[in-house]
Amino acid sequence: MLKVENLNKTFHTRAGDIHAVQNVTFSADNGEMVAIVGASGSGKSTLLALLGLLDAPDQGSIDLDGVELANLDAGGRTKYRSHQVGFVFQQFNLIPNLSARENVLLPLEYARWPKADRVRRADEMLALVGLTGEKSERRPTRLSGGEQQRVAIARAFAAKPQLILADEPTGSLDKSTGQKIVEILRSAASTEGATVLVVTHDEKIAQQADRRLEIDDGVLSEVA
Amino acid sequence: MRSIGVVVILAVAIALSISMLIARDAVNTKINSVRASTGTTITVTPKGFFGFSGGGTPLTTTEVNGLLNLKNVTAVQESLSEELSSNDTSLTSPTPAGSLGQRFGGSNPGGSSASAPTFTIAIRLIGTNSPGNALVGGANGGGTEKLTSGASFSPTSDSDVALVGQTLATKNKLKVGSTFTAFGKTITVVGIYNSGSTFANSDVLMPLATVQTLASASGQVTNATVVVNNISNVSSVTKAVTAALGSKADVTSTEATVASELAPLNSIKTISTYTLFGAIIGAAIILLLSMLMIVRERRREVGVLKALGAPNRSIIGQFIAESTTFTVLGSVVGFIVGILLSSPITSALVSATSNSSSATPAFTGGGFVRAGGGGFRGGGSGFTPPPGGQFARTGDFHFGGVSNTLTTLHTSVGSSTLIFAFVIALVIAALGSSVAVATIVRIRPAEVLRSE
Ligand SMILES: Nc1ncnc2c1ncn2[C@@H]1O[C@H](COP(=O)(O)OP(=O)(O)OP(=O)(O)O)[C@@H](O)[C@H]1O
Ligand SMILES: [Mg+2]
Repeated sequence: MLKVENLNKTFHTRAGDIHAVQNVTFSADNGEMVAIVGASGSGKSTLLALLGLLDAPDQGSIDLDGVELANLDAGGRTKYRSHQVGFVFQQFNLIPNLSARENVLLPLEYARWPKADRVRRADEMLALVGLTGEKSERRPTRLSGGEQQRVAIARAFAAKPQLILADEPTGSLDKSTGQKIVEILRSAASTEGATVLVVTHDEKIAQQADRRLEIDDGVLSEVA
Repeated sequence: MRSIGVVVILAVAIALSISMLIARDAVNTKINSVRASTGTTITVTPKGFFGFSGGGTPLTTTEVNGLLNLKNVTAVQESLSEELSSNDTSLTSPTPAGSLGQRFGGSNPGGSSASAPTFTIAIRLIGTNSPGNALVGGANGGGTEKLTSGASFSPTSDSDVALVGQTLATKNKLKVGSTFTAFGKTITVVGIYNSGSTFANSDVLMPLATVQTLASASGQVTNATVVVNNISNVSSVTKAVTAALGSKADVTSTEATVASELAPLNSIKTISTYTLFGAIIGAAIILLLSMLMIVRERRREVGVLKALGAPNRSIIGQFIAESTTFTVLGSVVGFIVGILLSSPITSALVSATSNSSSATPAFTGGGFVRAGGGGFRGGGSGFTPPPGGQFARTGDFHFGGVSNTLTTLHTSVGSSTLIFAFVIALVIAALGSSVAVATIVRIRPAEVLRSE
């Protein structure tokens, strides 16, 4: 269960202050997939960075399964991130000189999983996203965009995090591949029991989510 | 691909440093050995005096003995050279009349044959207060004389005794105990020596006081050798001797000769030192820039790793491992190439630097005097040797000296070179790593969510 209350983030730039996230309050259940929509520059990525513990909020509370995360320092954020947060990016962002399986093994290493369990877990996740056999030995450059995003989803879920944050995961894919990726995300969310937040511009994809949130100039509201 | 480029450039820089280091070491070793072999003597001759061909006013024993009071002087060896013509002695010169003339004048049409047979060669008589070293040094042109039979005379002796060179002894059938006449006195041979040179083995050595009396040259000295306690004091003592004797004497230390011989070596040393530091600085800058470039290029990758929960130290460790791999690979390749190149590079440096300076030392010091003495003793039409011949001979001597000095440079890799190279590689790796670390720490993980 994710409970966010009164979250604020302001960037101080030469051109003036940008209130990227303003008084954001919402909650999401485990296994739930929530879509976040909004115009460019409305603060979607900034909100994900705060929830994913990549950045510290100026104010507010982030409660994940009863643990307060908003006040962690950089070291604490790194540690919690490795155990509780998985990311899926628009640009896939796989590590280029590692194979698909090695990419999935990375978060298991950072979350200090027992060595003996890592490969089994990586292969389990690769199977879950439909990537089997020889393809898991390939480097990212030898996989299609859709396949790379599958690996990225497997990597995000690998260490059994509570929270999956996907920032436009279909933005670099064609429509049908994007559909497939969202389906995989959705089913992984329920299989793994994690909360998935998906930022998207795509109306059709947003409709597949359990709920929709809209953000406008940093202000979040529930869409009925 | 880029990594290979970095390794190659690094290897080139390190190879250059290593070969410069080795060249520098080789030159340094040579300089030290040349320095050490030059000895610690300063030759003092009356102004304008060459060998015993005359010229100049002789120095006096009093003046020369005064040099003993100078700082850092351990001994002053004095000698008085005279010529024993056939009118003055019963001895016959072993040098065949005109033989040197023929040698020197051989290319001169009709040079020697007419007058040579009637010309009698003079024998050199050296009065010395330091038997054993009387022939050493530029003006007397020989090595240490070793007795093959008999015994030496005392430095302060004034008896009518002599040591004769083995060539002269053979020619005149002299043995220890034999006698001969010189300036009307009967002289007893007390010993026979070998100094390693035919010229010097044709000389007669007698106590300084005896020769001063016989030649009516009381208190006179034609050559003094000042022995200095330490090589590093030779130049200061040379100045002091010059100051003490003023315009009366020519003061030459072997150091002057050696200095000009060492000039090309010293310039190689300078070149290699500058190149060495240039190469090291170059290598460091190359690695620094490459690390900066590599980390910048992989900024996103670093951001992703941070987003996945990688602690800074794990990312830093990975980059340090990479920069260390570059450095180690580059160093190993560079080290091997450097060692292979050090010999050709050293000789290239030598041939580039020695051409310009080898002509200078040809006219200095012992070589000239030696050739002059030889020319005189050759007699006949060789009395005035054709300049070409003389200079050729002098030139040979010194060109031989210089080229020998330079070609016998031995390049070798000492343990200090290895340690130095290792430390350089470490420092460069540390520099490259710290650049990587500084950049990695500054990358904010949130950057990864920004689209490029
Ligand atoms: N590090 C930062 N420094 C200053 N301003 C920032 C920073 N990050 C984001 N912003 C600003 O905050 C606002 C929200 O940015 P954000 O990236 O969250 O938008 P977004 O909704 O993700 O847009 P897009 O759909 O284009 O990705 C923008 O005005 C942006 O310029
Ligand atoms: Mg965004």
